[in-house]
Amino acid sequence: MERQIINKKKRVFSVEPNKIPPSEVFTRKYTRLLVPALKKLNMNKNSSQANQLTVKHEVDMALALSAQEFAWSRFLLQKLSSSNNPTTTTSSSSNGIRIQKRSGKEGGDEDGEIEEKLRELQKLLPGGEEMNVEEMLGEIGNYIKCLELQTIALKSIVEDTT
Amino acid sequence: MDLSVLERVKWLQQQQMVSPEFFEILGSDGREELKRVESYLGNNNDEWQSFRHYETIDGCISRTSSFQMEQVKNNEENRATALQHKRKTEGKTEKIENKKNKKIKTEDETESSMKGKSNMSNSETSSEIQKRDYIHVRARRGEATDRHSLAERARREKLSKKMKCLQDIVPGCNKVTGKAGMLDEIINYVQSLQQQVEFLSMKLSVLNPELEYHINELSTKQACFTDLPEAVSKQSMMVDASSFPLQHQESLDYSVINSIQTTTLGSQKDQTSSGWEIHSQSLYNNLRTDSDSSFFSLK
Repeated sequence: MERQIINKKKRVFSVEPNKIPPSEVFTRKYTRLLVPALKKLNMNKNSSQANQLTVKHEVDMALALSAQEFAWSRFLLQKLSSSNNPTTTTSSSSNGIRIQKRSGKEGGDEDGEIEEKLRELQKLLPGGEEMNVEEMLGEIGNYIKCLELQTIALKSIVEDTT
Repeated sequence: MDLSVLERVKWLQQQQMVSPEFFEILGSDGREELKRVESYLGNNNDEWQSFRHYETIDGCISRTSSFQMEQVKNNEENRATALQHKRKTEGKTEKIENKKNKKIKTEDETESSMKGKSNMSNSETSSEIQKRDYIHVRARRGEATDRHSLAERARREKLSKKMKCLQDIVPGCNKVTGKAGMLDEIINYVQSLQQQVEFLSMKLSVLNPELEYHINELSTKQACFTDLPEAVSKQSMMVDASSFPLQHQESLDYSVINSIQTTTLGSQKDQTSSGWEIHSQSLYNNLRTDSDSSFFSLK
């Protein structure tokens, strides 16, 4: 009953409560995972400031855990659990430079160029290199969506608390 | 034209070459089916010269329709093997659309008719039905019809379908045409998103000691969810929503999400907090339009 009251107050839930849009599900999970983790970090490292990498680790972990139905999240989890100082999704700046150079050079072979780009895309996606191209293209869509929602969540966390 | 072809079909059926289902197919697909039959027939030798005149009459049907009658009833084994072969090649060329290169087709016909006398002759008449089992790939006239290129074409079509889905997701993709450009866009977008996440987490790490997570304050925010029209509509790639059980909403989550809801991918142009705007703009390319401006929350 209390839940229904909460429902009415907040007008959150639709008529069919099981059909929450996935974006909401994701953001809920994400924030629910991230914020306590950050608090914990805060508490643990009272003296020294929270390491950037650790925060990034938590951020990525929250992302991976919030999106467990996708293949890339499994790969991300693997990467995170295997290494202490993960550089999982952050090597993007170097990739960017490389892409611009490459598109200048390969003017001739169009298919080869496309292959190159697909490979670049595969590198961006965690676990992308282990998938085939079709699968990867499907997963990239999910990944982009989750990244967007993640940035939104992070922004609001930062903004709301400053 | 149709009459002439129908006449021929009836003649075939009289000879019990054509199964009765053929007419059903004829009704549904019409000309394409006839063309396929033509193609099968055309691979036979030139014994039935009388049909050649159809070629001139009907510009659409370019295949010759020579046909060997006597061998049909005999070679069951040959039929099986030839069917196998034929199926995999021509069963896939379900529809022939592009009407440019008639000559190439006829050349194919004559070549194959010279080759496949013994094997191909008998079986083709009844093999028009087997199309149902196979992947239907549109083969344009003049394009190769061998198995590999057809498979390649099917694969390419799948890829382009996915690219179209991605086009909906990534903003700014509509303006660029061609696979390479779109892939570029997608790559840039993913990179910018990742950079933004990195930046935000850096900021969070700086702010983290000072953050007090005023849960209660956050919970007093506005209570109604606004829909995410774009995000929801793009959920074609997101799977398995129904598997997540409803849980109690912690107030923190709720309010955070609430601010998220009001800021996301919707059409509103919101006020911008200045510092954020600058950072975000520098991270995003100029092609990012809606999602960028809508990240700033209404408080």
